[in-house]
Amino acid sequence: MSQELTHWLDDLLEEIEGIKIRRKSSRRVRADVPADALPALLELLQGRAGYIHLSAISCVDWIEDDEFELVYHVWSYESHSLVSAHIRIAREPGVYLSVYDLYQPAGFFERDIHEMYGIHFEGSPNMEKFILTEWDGPPPMRKEFDSEAYVNEHLNWQEYNPPWLQELIAEGGGVIIPPEEQRFSRKKD
Amino acid sequence: MRPENYEAQRHPPSNEFELNFGPNHPGIEGNYALKVKLHGDVVVEAKADGGYLHRGFEKLMEQRLWIQNIALVPRICVPDPSPMEVCYAVAVEELCGLEVPQRAQWLRVMQLELSRIAAHLFTFGGHAATTGMYSTMYWGVADRDLILDLFEEFTGGRVYSIYNIPGGVRRELPDGFLQRVSETLDYIESRLPDYDNLFFKNQVFVKRAKGTGVMSQEQALAWGVTGPNLRATGLAFDVRRDDPYLVYDQLDFEIPTEAHGDAWSRTLVRRLELVESIRILRQVVAALPDIAGPIRAPIPNPLAWNVPAGEVYTRVESSKGELCYFVVSDGGPKPYRVHVRGPSSMHAVQVLEKMSVGSRIEDIAQTMFSLDACPPEVDR
Repeated sequence: MSQELTHWLDDLLEEIEGIKIRRKSSRRVRADVPADALPALLELLQGRAGYIHLSAISCVDWIEDDEFELVYHVWSYESHSLVSAHIRIAREPGVYLSVYDLYQPAGFFERDIHEMYGIHFEGSPNMEKFILTEWDGPPPMRKEFDSEAYVNEHLNWQEYNPPWLQELIAEGGGVIIPPEEQRFSRKKD
Repeated sequence: MRPENYEAQRHPPSNEFELNFGPNHPGIEGNYALKVKLHGDVVVEAKADGGYLHRGFEKLMEQRLWIQNIALVPRICVPDPSPMEVCYAVAVEELCGLEVPQRAQWLRVMQLELSRIAAHLFTFGGHAATTGMYSTMYWGVADRDLILDLFEEFTGGRVYSIYNIPGGVRRELPDGFLQRVSETLDYIESRLPDYDNLFFKNQVFVKRAKGTGVMSQEQALAWGVTGPNLRATGLAFDVRRDDPYLVYDQLDFEIPTEAHGDAWSRTLVRRLELVESIRILRQVVAALPDIAGPIRAPIPNPLAWNVPAGEVYTRVESSKGELCYFVVSDGGPKPYRVHVRGPSSMHAVQVLEKMSVGSRIEDIAQTMFSLDACPPEVDR
C-alpha cells in the first residue's frame, strides 16, 4: 500500500468517533470501534474506500470480561489491504445488528456465530441451525461449555480390545517391515 | 382389502415436491445435502444442509497445545489439506515473531503447489463423473496418486502431511527427491493433452457445462466468492500475488482467468492453473539446491510453549479459494480462539443455494462440482 493511500485511509477513518487505528503491517490494519459505530465504519470502508469483500466475521468469547468480541475482516481489491474492525458487545443479552445489507457473506458468518455462541443478529436473513441440527444443549463454542466434561457425563467410553490386538500385544506389539519391502525406502542406486 | 373406515388422504393440488439431494448422493461432494423444492424438474427453492462432517475442530483446538494442533488442522479439508497446515503455522509464527528460514519457505511452496495439483486432478474426476465420463475420474485419481506417492516420501503422510511446524518444516528432502518431482511433473504435463482430448475438449462436457451455473462478476463479488470461481468471472485476484505469503513474490506465474463465469469457465480456470502450478514447481525444483540453511527456526520447548498474547489473521490461496485463519492468543500454552474461514463456506452454502434456484435438477451436481465445494471445511 502506498504511503499516500495510507494517509488517505487514516483521514477517512478519523471521521468515525471513538476509533482507534493500529497499523500492524503494510497490508493489515486493526481498527477498534464502539459497537454502535461499526455499521457507519463498514459503510465508509465499503462505499468510499473500496473494501467490498467481507472475508470473515470472527467471534471471541472473553468470558472474564463478560464480553464477546466480534471482528469484521474486510478486504480491498484495489488497495490490497485488510482492515479488521473489532467491537465488543455484552455477553448478556448477546444481541447485535446484522450487516447483511452491506455484505451478503455476513449471512453465513452470523448464522454460524449464532449457532456456536448464541449471539442474535437483528435483521440477519437466516438464523436457523445449520451444523448442529440435532443439538439442543448450550452454544458449544462458549467458554463455559466444557466438551470433555459433557462427554464424560453423557457418553460411555468403550473398551476396544479385539482378538487381533490382544495377539499383537501378546507377541510384543508392533509390525516390522524389512527395508527391502518398504515401498519408499529408495536410496540412490 | 381396505378397512371400512378408510378414506384416502387428500393433498391440496400442487405441482411442487421436495427432494433431499444428499447427504449420500453421487452428485454431491462429500457428505452434504441440498433440500430442494421442485416444480417439475426446475428448482424453485434450495436449502443447504450441512453438519454431517462437523468434528468441532475450533473447540478442540482451544483444548490442545499450539504444537498439537498441527496434527488436527489438515483434517479440516480432506482433498486439499496442506494449505491448512501452512496457514496455521504462519499464524503462530506471526504471533511469536518467528523468522522462518528461506529453505523452509521454499519447501512449503513445493508442498502447497503439489497439493493444489492433487486437489485439482481430484476435482476434475468428480466433475467429469457428473456428466457420466468416468474415465476422467479414474485418470484423475490415478495421477493424483503419483503426487500422494511424492507426499509419502517427502513428508511421511500420503494425505495428511503434518509437515509444517511453527518455525519451519519437519524434514529435509530425501535423496534424489527433486529429480523424482521433476519426473512426475514431466509425466503430468505429458498427460495434459490427453486430459484435454478426453474431457476439456469433449463436446459432451463442453455442451453440458457451457452456460450452466452462470455467475456474473458483480454477483461473485457481492457473494464473497474467491479463488478459481472468482477468476472464472474475469477478475484476476489471487492471494498468492495480491497478498503474498512465503516466497510467492519471488516466483513467476500467471493468474488464469475466464470471462463467462459458468461451469465450463470454472473448470477451465483450474485446468490452466495446473500449468501454472507446474511452472511454479519447476522454479522451486531449480532453486532449492542453491538455498542452503536450516529448515526451521529454533522454537522453545513445544510442550511448554506460551505464545505471546495477540491476534493475527492469515490468508493462503487454497485450491478452492481464500483460506483464512484468525488466531487469538491470551499468552497461554493453548490458543484462546482459532477461527477457520474455509473458502467453501461461501460457495457451498449461500452461493450454491442462490445458483440452484431456477436451474434444473440435473444441473445441481454440475454446478456444485464446478464450484469445487468442500463440505468438511464448511462444517469444521
